[in-house]
Amino acid sequence: MEQKNIQVLVVDDESDFLQLMTFWLQSKGYSVIVASTGEAAVEMVRDKKPNVVFMDLRMPVMDGIEAIKKIREFNKDVPIIIISAYVDDPKVKDATGYGISGVFYKGKDFEDGLSLLEVALRTHRQLKK
Amino acid sequence: MSSLTVVYIVTIVISIVTALLLVYLSRLSGQTGAYYDKKKIKKEYSDSDLALGAPLRHTIFDEISELGVSVQQCQEISNRLLDAVSEELEKRVTLNTQELSNKYEAIIEEKSKSEEITWKKYKKTLSDKKETEAVIRSVAEGLVVVDAGGKVIMMNPAAEKLLGVSGKDKVGKSVLADLKDEHLVSLTKGSPGKEGKEIELVSQQDDTKRVLRASSAVIEDENGQTVGMVSVLSDITKQKELDRMKENFVASVSHELRTPLVAIDKSISLILDKNAGTITPTQEQFLTIAERNLKRLSLLVNDLLDLSKMEAGKMELKTQPAAIDKVIGESAAALKAWSETKSITIEKKIQEGLPEVKVDQNKIIQVLNNLIGNAIKFTPEGGLIVVEAKLSSQGNKLEVSVSDNGLGIAQDDLRKVFDKFYQAGERTPSDINGTGIGLAIAREIVELHGGKIRAESEKGAGAKFTFTLPI
Repeated sequence: MEQKNIQVLVVDDESDFLQLMTFWLQSKGYSVIVASTGEAAVEMVRDKKPNVVFMDLRMPVMDGIEAIKKIREFNKDVPIIIISAYVDDPKVKDATGYGISGVFYKGKDFEDGLSLLEVALRTHRQLKK
Repeated sequence: MSSLTVVYIVTIVISIVTALLLVYLSRLSGQTGAYYDKKKIKKEYSDSDLALGAPLRHTIFDEISELGVSVQQCQEISNRLLDAVSEELEKRVTLNTQELSNKYEAIIEEKSKSEEITWKKYKKTLSDKKETEAVIRSVAEGLVVVDAGGKVIMMNPAAEKLLGVSGKDKVGKSVLADLKDEHLVSLTKGSPGKEGKEIELVSQQDDTKRVLRASSAVIEDENGQTVGMVSVLSDITKQKELDRMKENFVASVSHELRTPLVAIDKSISLILDKNAGTITPTQEQFLTIAERNLKRLSLLVNDLLDLSKMEAGKMELKTQPAAIDKVIGESAAALKAWSETKSITIEKKIQEGLPEVKVDQNKIIQVLNNLIGNAIKFTPEGGLIVVEAKLSSQGNKLEVSVSDNGLGIAQDDLRKVFDKFYQAGERTPSDINGTGIGLAIAREIVELHGGKIRAESEKGAGAKFTFTLPI
């Protein structure tokens, strides 16, 4: 498998989904780091500086929106893609105000997540230029 | 000789005069004779009658005295005449009085009768009014009646309690006049057809927030003129709270239900896509069965969640331009595995160059999943399902249809298939089943898009479901 040298942070309190997502992203050549709480995610972004973040919204204690707000306080840059369990989650609408690069619905194919990821990275690189 | 002649002449003249007088007198006595009999029933004159008679007496006296009768006679004649006239007059007056008093009595009687009826009616109205007021007082819901100008005419104790005001203070004022701004949190106007407007206020007694619903109806008089409005206020605080809890419940249940489904689905597809290494054909076969049934389970869960959203009126669309062939392709692909188990072919007939439509893709896919899913259910092994998309004859909308050559639907059932929980009559129990909500949801989604859905079928000759989408 071709290594892309891109680090993806996946944040989800569902460890099963986290494992699946990790396996799949790794199979596509990405290196993956994970966090299962909002707080851990904020720390990870601060310490490990991932290239892109997949963020679940519904998590106990600090939910995805809170985590995104915290991250945006010190990092306005990193593309964040929201993971949502279902299409109509009202939380998705709430999150769009904080600079997100897309929404990946869990019910959709992983391929959809991959294209979102690639678009986010490409846009980000263009903005950097 | 001459003196004798004079004496003769004088004697003759006196005799003639005397004779004439006697004749006159005898005539007079004859005329008055008739009255003397009646004198027996004559009533006594009152003093006032005599007094009234005095001028008349004078007139008669004068008239007779002109005839050259002696004063004595004149007096006598005039007295008798007067008596006769008075008596006649008296009689007439008595008669008239009697008649009048009879008439008067009849009128009085009539009057008092109608008065009695009126009184009875009044008493009835009064007791009716009291009864109505008692009913209004004891109605648990708040009741406020306002006139055409919005001023309160009356309100019942429940309304006083709900609004935290006294009815006496309110009469003649607008309902919300004295409510301070901090108490009135919001006043939302209900859309027509909805259940009135909602008033959110903070109780003046205990600072708790309450939500009232005001359902108002216009009061019209018999000429159809608006004379006021009656509003029923009900405390829906608890209901609102329950609604909110239910919403949260549905949201969390849907999260809980979908999360494991997604994890299973993703696990299976990772293995089936050979991402996790090679698998044997038998393993692949069983995993395919697992995946297929999981898809059906997901569809069912989605339907159930949509139903609860539909009932709460919370179904929303996220529309964006989409190509219908892509949407159809996605649905057909999702159901391909299932149709293959019955060797059913899904054929797509999509007109060339169709414009894009502004739709909620996921929702339209759900409609198609339901229609194609039904077609698969009701079509025997080896059947054919045709999904067609074309421009309507007027060219202002898209027509998408799903037809099969399966069992078909009886005419009687055809009208009801879009009703919630309805399932077409005869079914083969082992094979065909469902929740009976798929088509109800499909109709809701199509109508939210501004389209229409219809079913055509003949028993035994397949069914065709068509929905339209405005362009």
